[in-house]
Amino acid sequence: MPDPSKDALVQLRNVSKDYRRDSIVVPVLSDTNLDIPKGEFVAIMGPSGSGKSTLLNLVAGLDRPTTGTITVAGQELGQLSESKLTRWRSQHLGFIFQLYNLMPVLTAYENVELPLLLTSLSRKQRAEHVQTALRIVGLAERMDHYPRQLSGGQEQRVAIARALVNDSVLLLADEPTGNLDASAAHEILDLLGQLNEEFEKTIVMVTHDPRASRRAHRMLHLEKGSFVETELDSMEAAR
Amino acid sequence: MKFLPYIVKNIMRHKLRNVFTVLSIAVSLFLVTILYAYVSVQDELAAKSVQYNRVVVQHAQGLTFPVPLAYVDRVRSMPGVKAAVPLSWFGGKYKDDKIPFAQFATDPQTIMSVFTEYTVPPEQLSAWQNDRTGCIVGEKIARKRGWKVGDKIPLQGDIYPINLELTIDGIYDGPETADKEMLWYHYDYFDELLKKNRPIMAGNAGTIFVKVDSADRLSSMMRDIDDRFASSDAPVRSMTEQAFQQMFTQMLGNIRAYILNVSLAVVFSLVCVAGNAMAMSLRERTREVAVLKAIGFSRTTVLSLMLSEAMLVAMLGGALGVFGAKTLFDWTDLTVSGIPGFSTFYVPWSTIGLGLAVSAAVGLTAGAIPAWRAAQVSVVNGLRKVV
Repeated sequence: MPDPSKDALVQLRNVSKDYRRDSIVVPVLSDTNLDIPKGEFVAIMGPSGSGKSTLLNLVAGLDRPTTGTITVAGQELGQLSESKLTRWRSQHLGFIFQLYNLMPVLTAYENVELPLLLTSLSRKQRAEHVQTALRIVGLAERMDHYPRQLSGGQEQRVAIARALVNDSVLLLADEPTGNLDASAAHEILDLLGQLNEEFEKTIVMVTHDPRASRRAHRMLHLEKGSFVETELDSMEAAR
Repeated sequence: MKFLPYIVKNIMRHKLRNVFTVLSIAVSLFLVTILYAYVSVQDELAAKSVQYNRVVVQHAQGLTFPVPLAYVDRVRSMPGVKAAVPLSWFGGKYKDDKIPFAQFATDPQTIMSVFTEYTVPPEQLSAWQNDRTGCIVGEKIARKRGWKVGDKIPLQGDIYPINLELTIDGIYDGPETADKEMLWYHYDYFDELLKKNRPIMAGNAGTIFVKVDSADRLSSMMRDIDDRFASSDAPVRSMTEQAFQQMFTQMLGNIRAYILNVSLAVVFSLVCVAGNAMAMSLRERTREVAVLKAIGFSRTTVLSLMLSEAMLVAMLGGALGVFGAKTLFDWTDLTVSGIPGFSTFYVPWSTIGLGLAVSAAVGLTAGAIPAWRAAQVSVVNGLRKVV
């Protein structure tokens, strides 16, 4: 029997994470196992403090687990030094934040170009990548606008373009619609769905919004640091 | 270079704060440049003078005692002497000047053979040599005061009880280190007036400048001159032109140490000012630094970006300060301002380079701690701070 976990893009094995506040140890994730195959769109839900963002940070290599191993795209993150992990992140991951986190002093174009400044691409090659990413998110016409000149939905689109521009295999979205009105949230979810279906991006999205979670192939419910898994059919959900 | 637009945009984020930081650095570096240039100019003038093989002869008891004019001819007759001229400081008052510019009575027939690095058009030199009340002036002082050939220069005696009525016959020029703010006029005219008004002061020269035929002979020449007049009523002390110039700096005491200490104090305060501005700027950007690291910027890259930002601000201020000083002193006549010791003053390029290096070091030092702290920002904590 072939082991389906071998095809997983993201694999968590016996992962636990504790935070220490003075002398008190606060467990956030306990003995967590998870496999996310390539091309899957996974939504992670759960109440505040359940460990959703911690899980996302661990998968992104922004934080280290207390115990267990995390493997993403065949790379066990625990084996990488801080600097190698940073470089690895710039090549394999795209991060989408709730508050967009665009640089206010940079235009939409410059914000999207930012991750590419770490590569050896020429100015012309960078321009091609940035224009493509902005075209995908539907903001090619607004590339010279500053974040303050864009709506919340448009800002989040720029943030998605920034996450896409280095052609990362995995997109991690932390409450991407949490700061948007219903209409803008709908557009962002459509865009994420499109990226998953047309561009085969694997997406892990943390959300509080049940409507958002229904766009995913799979919804994982996290409570007190442990998963409760729910399978969804995305077509069904869309209907 | 590809990060430059990002660095510049971050600097422009708080325009007013950075304008004040740049201005504080500019003003401080302007002052340090002036102080340091003073020392550099003295060193540079002294060092350059070595190549001209000149010896200065003064009275053994110092500059306040004159040497007899007859010594000039006796020195000229010594083997190895190419030329010798009297050079007497007049110190006359010109119009409303509070401090006199340099005016020397000398021999117009021989002076250009002693100061060979100076140039004057032949027809102007000839006109001066044939005009008893004529004078020639340096290009720099002529430019600053708007003097031209034919202008009258009245000088009211202060040390000497005589007044001079001079006419500019020519304008001399020379290399950058040459003193181009002097006025040279006929010793004969000066001596003639003294004979009429105060005969006891006539027939003397303040110093004698001697052009020696080779550098190898400088030491023996000084010894020979001193020996020749050792048993006379007016014994002399000879020195190289370099030593003569350094003597004036030494008269001001240990000015080098004062300047160094003041400069260090200024630089320290600059580091504090720039460091505070940089720390404030980076503290406000904790979230952005966390985002940069989240999207793949390494600690080293973040550190480099922040240090570059601090250095750019400091170097902008430094450039304004040092080039401001250079521009000001290239175009301002300090002899008019009445500041003593600035008759030959300019800002050497070596001082400009040093000023820019100091400003870069200020930026580097001021930015070091804030940039290091920014580079250490934990992504998780940085992002959580906002949410």
